[in-house]
Amino acid sequence: MKKRLYIELENCIGCRSCLAACTQCGGHEQRNRNYVYDVNPHVNRQTMPLMCLHCENPACARSCPAQAIQIHETGAVLSALVEKCIGCQNCTIACPYGIPKFDEEENLMYKCDLCIDRTKDGIPPMCASVCPSNTLQWLTEEEIEQKQQQHDLDNGKWVTSMPYLEGETNVKVNLPGILQGTEKLF
Amino acid sequence: MQRDKFYKEIENVEHPNEKLIKTHCSYCGMQCGMNLRVNTMTNKIIGVEPRYDWPVTVGKMCPKGVTAYQQTNHDDRILRPLIRDDASLKGTKEGFREASWEEAYDLIAEKFGELQQNYGKDSLSVFSGVSMTNEKCYLTGKFARVALGTRYIDYNGRFCMSSAAGGFLRSFGVDRGSTLPWTDIHETDCLFIAGSNTAECHPTSMFRIWNVQERGGYIIVVDPRETPIARRADLHLDLKPGTDLALANGIVHLLIEKGYADEEFVNQHTNGFEETKELVRQFTPEYTSYLTGVAPEKIERAAEIYGKAPNAVVMFARGIEQQHKGVDNVSGYTNMALVTGKIGRPKSGVATFTGQGNGQGGREHGQKSDLLPGYRKITNPQHVQEVCNVWGITPEEMPKAGVSAYEMFELMDQKEIRGLYLLCSNPAVSAPNLNFVRNAMKNLDFMVCADFYLSESAEFADVILPSVTWSEDEGTVTNIEGRIIKINKAQEPLGESKPDWQMQVELAERLGKGENFAHLKTAKDVADEFRLASKGGSADYYGATWDKIEKQDGVFWPCKNDEDQGTPHMFLDKKFYHADGKAQICALPYRPPAEEPCEEYQLRLTTGRVVYHYLSGNQTRRIKFLKDMCPEPYVEVHPETAATYNMEHDERIRLYTRRGEAIYKVKVTEAIRKDTVFVPYHFGHEESINLLTIPALDPKSRMPEFKACAAQMQKLDPKKVL
Ligand code: SF4
Ligand code: SF4
Ligand code: SF4
Ligand code: SF4
Repeated sequence: MKKRLYIELENCIGCRSCLAACTQCGGHEQRNRNYVYDVNPHVNRQTMPLMCLHCENPACARSCPAQAIQIHETGAVLSALVEKCIGCQNCTIACPYGIPKFDEEENLMYKCDLCIDRTKDGIPPMCASVCPSNTLQWLTEEEIEQKQQQHDLDNGKWVTSMPYLEGETNVKVNLPGILQGTEKLF
Repeated sequence: MQRDKFYKEIENVEHPNEKLIKTHCSYCGMQCGMNLRVNTMTNKIIGVEPRYDWPVTVGKMCPKGVTAYQQTNHDDRILRPLIRDDASLKGTKEGFREASWEEAYDLIAEKFGELQQNYGKDSLSVFSGVSMTNEKCYLTGKFARVALGTRYIDYNGRFCMSSAAGGFLRSFGVDRGSTLPWTDIHETDCLFIAGSNTAECHPTSMFRIWNVQERGGYIIVVDPRETPIARRADLHLDLKPGTDLALANGIVHLLIEKGYADEEFVNQHTNGFEETKELVRQFTPEYTSYLTGVAPEKIERAAEIYGKAPNAVVMFARGIEQQHKGVDNVSGYTNMALVTGKIGRPKSGVATFTGQGNGQGGREHGQKSDLLPGYRKITNPQHVQEVCNVWGITPEEMPKAGVSAYEMFELMDQKEIRGLYLLCSNPAVSAPNLNFVRNAMKNLDFMVCADFYLSESAEFADVILPSVTWSEDEGTVTNIEGRIIKINKAQEPLGESKPDWQMQVELAERLGKGENFAHLKTAKDVADEFRLASKGGSADYYGATWDKIEKQDGVFWPCKNDEDQGTPHMFLDKKFYHADGKAQICALPYRPPAEEPCEEYQLRLTTGRVVYHYLSGNQTRRIKFLKDMCPEPYVEVHPETAATYNMEHDERIRLYTRRGEAIYKVKVTEAIRKDTVFVPYHFGHEESINLLTIPALDPKSRMPEFKACAAQMQKLDPKKVL
C-alpha cells in the first residue's frame, strides 16, 4: 500500500522534534535536512515545517548537470550521489523551496531522501514518526483522500498542493485553516 | 490493551549488529515509549528508534526524547567517585580528585557519624528527586529513615507536584494525577487547560488534544502567555499570573447560576456544595474580570462551553500549582468537574500534567517528609506499624515527620541541618530564592551528591558519587496517567558508576544497618520489597508485578493483587476516597499573589519551561541539539512594555526583584500580557531566574510561588554593555 508524507501545517507547535529526528535516521550523519520556521516571531508562536515535497518533476534534479540527484522508484527524490555531485549548487537555487543544503567542507549537496532506508519498506520517516502534533503524518492514499474531503471548504481556499505549489508533489500539504470548515459538536 | 485510532501496526527498522531495547524516555511525565538502539559488538547505546507499539504515544517523541540517549555515553559523565579535600572551594567546580568507592564510603560514614554523634540524628538530611524509578524513590525513603535515622528527607516534587497532590487529596481523598487514561483525551468534547504550556512541556499530548478540535470539540486555555496551544485554542483566558483561584471561582459561580450543576451527582456524591455556592456568589464575571484581567465575556463563554459539553476534562499544570495558593487553585478548578458531575466516567475527569518522569510514583512512596510507602502517613501510628513490619524496625525507631524542601534549606542556614545527601536533583538551579539556598548549601559541614554529571548543586559537595543514567538500570515509573510502566536496562553502567539503590544498600552496610538492606541485591529485589511495603496503602502497587506490566502495557494503580488488572479510570463507581465515599467541593476564599506589583517593582514575573530543556537543564544543556536550539535564557516582553522601557529586541537588560537580579536578552513578543514578563528557568549560575523568585510557600503543600512575583527591568549602562 503506497503511503505518502502528509503535512498539516495548522498543527505545528514548533517543537523541532522533526529536526532532531532527521539527525537520527541512519546515514544522516547527525545533520538534519528539514527546516522549521517561526512565521511571525514578534507577534505569535506560529511555526511551520519546511520539508522537501518530493516533486514529481523535481527542479533540483532537472537543474543538476551531473545527474547526481536520482529519483527512487517510490518517487522519493534522493540526496546527491557522492560520486557524481560536482558541488555546483544549481539545485539549491533551482528548488522553489530552498530545500537542498550544501556542505562547504565536503563540497557536496545533501537533502531529504524521505528516509529512503525506512520508506522503501513502508516504515514511516523519522520526522513523521516522532512529530508530536501530527503535523507530519505518513498516510495511505485513502487516508489522504479522506483528509481532503474532511477539510474541503468548498470555497476554493483549501487543500493539498495544487494550485498553490509549483507543480505536482509526492508529499501532500494541508495549508493552515483546516478548522474553518469544522462543524462544532454543540 | 487499549489500542485506539492512532495506533498503527509498524515494524521497526533493524540494523545489522544492533538490538532494540524497549523502554521509555528519561524525562517528563509523558514517559513516551522508545527503543534504544544498542550495538551488539560494543554493547553501547548508539541511538533511538520510535516505539510505535506504545499505546499512549505511538512512537512520538519531543526533541528531548529523540536525543535522550546521548546522555548515556556523554563525555561529561562522572566515572569514579570524587572527593574534594579543600572545603574553601565549595561552590566551584574546582578541587575534586578521583577516589575509590571504598574511600568515598569510608569518608561519608565517618563524617555522617561524627555529625550525628555531635549534633544528633537529625543533623543529617536527604534531598531527593522523582526523575528516577519507584524502586529508587522507595529505597531513598527507607535509607533516610532506617540507615541514617533522620527525620529530614524531602524531595524536588515540592517544587513540582505537591500542590496537585494536596488539592486532589482534599477534593477526592486520593492523589492520582489523572482520573482517566490519556487514550480518552482525544475523545472528549471539551478540554479546559489551565496553566499548562502543553505544546512545550508535554508535547506528545498534542496529537490527541488537536484531535478534540478536529472532531468539533473545544479547547479552552488559561495562561498569561499565548503559548502554542493557546494560539489555536477556541478560547484563551489570558489572566494575570497568580489569579487562578478567582477565575475558578468565577466559572464555578456561572456553572451553578446558569443551571449546569448536576444536582443528583452533587447530592449523592459530594459535600460542600452549599458553602461553595455561597462563597463563589460574589465572583461575578465583572468582579472576576477585575481580579484576573480576563474579559467578562470570555469568562462567561468558558463557563457556557464547559457547562454544555457532554464530556469534558479539566486539566492543569505548574502554572496554577506553583503558587502560594496552589492547593486551592487545584481544588478550585476541580470544583468545576464536581459541581457538574463531569467525573467518574470515561472521557470526563480531572488531570494534572505530571512534570517529572516519575512525578507521580515518586511522591507516593516515602520521599516526602511526612509520607511512607503506599501513600501512608508518618503521623498515623497504624501506618507506621505496617511499614515497620516490612522494614524490620520498631515504631520507636521510626523518625518523626520532617519539613519541606525549601524549609530544609532554612534549617541548613540555621545550622540545625549540617549534613546533606543529595540525589536526583539540582536545587542550586531549581529552588526559589537561590542566593539564600546556595549560601545554605555552602554552609553545610558535609555534603554528598550522587549524580551522573557535575551539576551546579554538585559544585557544593565534598563527595560526589557517580550514579547511572536511566538507561543503565531497570525498574518502574508511574507516568502522567497513573500507569506503572517498566524502564529497561540497555547498557552496563559506564565507568564505575552505580545505580542509587546500590549505593544506598552499600552505604547502609557502612552505617551499621546492613541487616535491613543487605538482602537487596538487584533492582528486582527492591521492587519486590517496595510492592509489599505499598500493600494496603491508598497507592497500592502490590499487584503491579513486572510481568503484568509487560503483558498489559502498564498497570494503573491501585492494583491490589494478582487478579487485579489495575484501575485505568478512577471513581467509575462514584466512590471517592474520603471516609464517607464522597468528594469534597471546596469553598475557597481568594487571596492575591504574595507579592503584587508596586511603584518600585511594576511587572509580574512568571517562569516556566521551553520544549528543548528539562527542569534545571543539567542533562539537556549538555545535549548539542538542544543546546543549539536554546543556548541561553531570555526575558519575554510585550512590545508596548518594551517601548515603555525603551528596550529593543535582543538588547541585554537587568531584571531584578527584592531577592536578586540577573541579566537577560529581551525577546519582544505580543504573545504575553503587557504587565507580565517571562523567563525560562533551566539555566545555572548567574543565568538562573530563581535568583529572583519568591519563597512564599503554600500553607498546605509548601510549594513556592515560582509563578508570580513583582519585578522590575532596567536598561544596562551602555558603557558596561560593551
Ligand atoms: S515535529 Fe511536528 S510539531 Fe514539531 S516542529 Fe516539526 S512539524 Fe512542527
Ligand atoms: S522540493 Fe526542492 S529539493 Fe525537494 S524534490 Fe522538489 S525541487 Fe527537489
Ligand atoms: S523524511 Fe527523513 S530525511 Fe526527510 S526530513 Fe524527514 S527525517 Fe529527514
Ligand atoms: S520529554 Fe516528555 S514528551 Fe518529550 S519525549 Fe520525553 S517523555 Fe516524551
